[in-house]
Amino acid sequence: MTDETVDVLIIGSGHSGGMAAKCLTEKGISCLMLNAGPVADARRDTEPKPAYALPFRGFKQPGRLEHVFQSNEFNANTWVDEQEVPYTCDPQQPYNWVRVRLFGGRSLFWSRQSFRLSDYELKGKSHDGFGDDWPISLSDLAPYYSRVEAIFRVRGHADGLPQYPDGNFVPDNSSWTGCMQRFVDAGKKMGVPVCKPRSSEGVDGLASSVNLLLPDAFATGKLRAIPNVVVRELRVDPKTGLVSEAHFVDRLSRREMSVKARVVVLAAGTLESTRLLLNSKIGNSSGVMGHYLIDQVYGPGIVCSVPEARDGRATPELMGGAALIPRFRNLDTKAKNFIRGYALNVFSSAHPMDPRNFAAYGAELQKKLDSYSGSGFSTGIMGEVLAHYEHQVSIDKNVVDAWNIPVLHIDTKYTDNEFNMARDAVDTSIELAEAAGFEVLSKNYDPNPPGYSIHELGTCRMGDDPKTSVLNKWNQSHDIKNLVVVDGSCFVSGGWQNPTMTILSLAMRASEHLAEQMRQGNV
Amino acid sequence: MAASVSAKTMLGQQTVTPPPPQAAPPVAPSAPPPVATAPGPVPWMRGLREVKPLPITPLVPDAVAQTSAHFFTDRQLATLRQLSEIMLPPLKGYPGAIDAGAPEFLDFLIGVSPVDRQQMYQSGLDRLDAEARQRFGMPFAGIQASQADELLRPWLRTWMTDHPPAEPFAHFVNLVHSDIRTATINSEAWSKAETAMGREEPDVGLYWFPVDPDIHREEPGREASAPVRHPAPKKQHA
Repeated sequence: MTDETVDVLIIGSGHSGGMAAKCLTEKGISCLMLNAGPVADARRDTEPKPAYALPFRGFKQPGRLEHVFQSNEFNANTWVDEQEVPYTCDPQQPYNWVRVRLFGGRSLFWSRQSFRLSDYELKGKSHDGFGDDWPISLSDLAPYYSRVEAIFRVRGHADGLPQYPDGNFVPDNSSWTGCMQRFVDAGKKMGVPVCKPRSSEGVDGLASSVNLLLPDAFATGKLRAIPNVVVRELRVDPKTGLVSEAHFVDRLSRREMSVKARVVVLAAGTLESTRLLLNSKIGNSSGVMGHYLIDQVYGPGIVCSVPEARDGRATPELMGGAALIPRFRNLDTKAKNFIRGYALNVFSSAHPMDPRNFAAYGAELQKKLDSYSGSGFSTGIMGEVLAHYEHQVSIDKNVVDAWNIPVLHIDTKYTDNEFNMARDAVDTSIELAEAAGFEVLSKNYDPNPPGYSIHELGTCRMGDDPKTSVLNKWNQSHDIKNLVVVDGSCFVSGGWQNPTMTILSLAMRASEHLAEQMRQGNV
Repeated sequence: MAASVSAKTMLGQQTVTPPPPQAAPPVAPSAPPPVATAPGPVPWMRGLREVKPLPITPLVPDAVAQTSAHFFTDRQLATLRQLSEIMLPPLKGYPGAIDAGAPEFLDFLIGVSPVDRQQMYQSGLDRLDAEARQRFGMPFAGIQASQADELLRPWLRTWMTDHPPAEPFAHFVNLVHSDIRTATINSEAWSKAETAMGREEPDVGLYWFPVDPDIHREEPGREASAPVRHPAPKKQHA
């Protein structure tokens, strides 16, 4: 039997775990990474198939992955199965918890939108009085954002807007297509900035932990990794008060095992990290753990048609491209019925239109589809969700997963602030589209259920006061100094921005601080 | 002759050709792992690694067989067939929903769906039939397309993904329309029509096989046979 004590145990292999592994191993620190799921090999595990050859003809398998709107019959096997790892919530307050346990986690599948938070988010309370400021500001994070943007090869255009901080971009100096230019011009007249989107190009089309972070870590010879092990509990040495051991179960055989570690870096994803800490009953002297669950509002938006592109007249000069409208509400003025703000994703499509945009069927519908094909233009909200103490997760003692690990109960909902924001986003979209001369075909004011954005954040928030926060500004547990939580659970507020760049930058910052603390012998 | 034969001897008997004599390995394994063997002289897996894949393109049953519909009542299925014929008739060389077997496929799909979806379909089909009888004195399956249009058009809506209309009957009319289209466009018949027109199949996607599936995974409604599970009270995911 081995009696090894590993230097750093990293739980999780996604963006945050991958970044921790890269930073720590490059400082010469040995790491062991545990991941709850298997290693995927797209060459081995996939095959192009027509929908008719699938058991349910391309429909989702009934009753499976009901909360994963992103799933379909082609990709169903990539998501965490809701029967295997359940969670509970009030049926009147559904929550879509969208999870991937393949090695690399959700870094394998993400939309690549790459934004910095601004001080409108990091210092939100100072701006409007609601909630709490983060213990750090953009100036603390900016050097790390720059390095992360270089690794992920973020394409973008510097716009000089304080609410849309510029970064270390692969320059995007492309010109607008005709329809986008009309939308930009409509925005100018209304004081709404329409900017270029910002997106991680990655390498060979992939921008993931598995190709941008973990290879560097393995190349040091300092990283070992075990797939298919589900961590059940972290244990604290009562003599030292330090976390000293992780107890896990082999996913396939159900063999129970444990490993000793000098330091634990938790990177299992916001809610899995919090679930593990709550099940372990550690790190929560503040009582704040599990509280302040946030995400982002997705779903509301509009679909339009550009009349000049109909009947086969769509050209690459007129149609195609994307834009991003960064937050423009509640910066220098006040919206009447909500605080904070939202961004709008803007897309133009040269593809056939979705038939749902026409109240017609049969030959009449086909005629519409033929005429409108290639003329599509759409907007969609990414809206800030306010952090409330009562929006929380806790352990449901009556339900366990397939490994007998108690599951999470998720208790959250959107409030008037989110609903009013969503309404404003749709009405503003319509106003802009009509000013640009587009025909609005369909609109939706209703947010998708919380969680849908796959941007769950908070529940182990950082702060300077151990009485009101779980982690310090270095993502280190206030209670247990050799426990560092590097994923999205540390967020104090979420803003409208896809959080990936921020999670990566925080993980880089926390890991390098940890390495220095270890070098000095403080951890 | 001795009654018992050692495993080593048995393995030796099942080797087709004795291995050529060679120098003894530096360290003999004390207990080599047993090799999977057939109850005969030939190893089970022999030759499989060398065989080339069979030159077959698997046939889907829809190419030659009909779905046996059994979930909807005869009247509901007749209504669904008529609805399918009206909502997606054959157009421009493409098969219609009937040619694609869409109503029968939906009978299967809805039959294995959660109860609320089943009830939405059943009550929607029943209402269409009842309205046809009330207004035109005949079942929905027997009315003219123009008459069906009078019943359907007031409920047609535009809507965005994941947000179908909330009113129950509009919800049904717009979802059944979407389902009929999907069942038709994702059919083999449609795919053949695409190919015949020289177009690439539009519905080919990257299918993910299960990746190291959990050997103890519980299917909904079926108990697992996990040998090392600790019994614990369980309740269904809410």
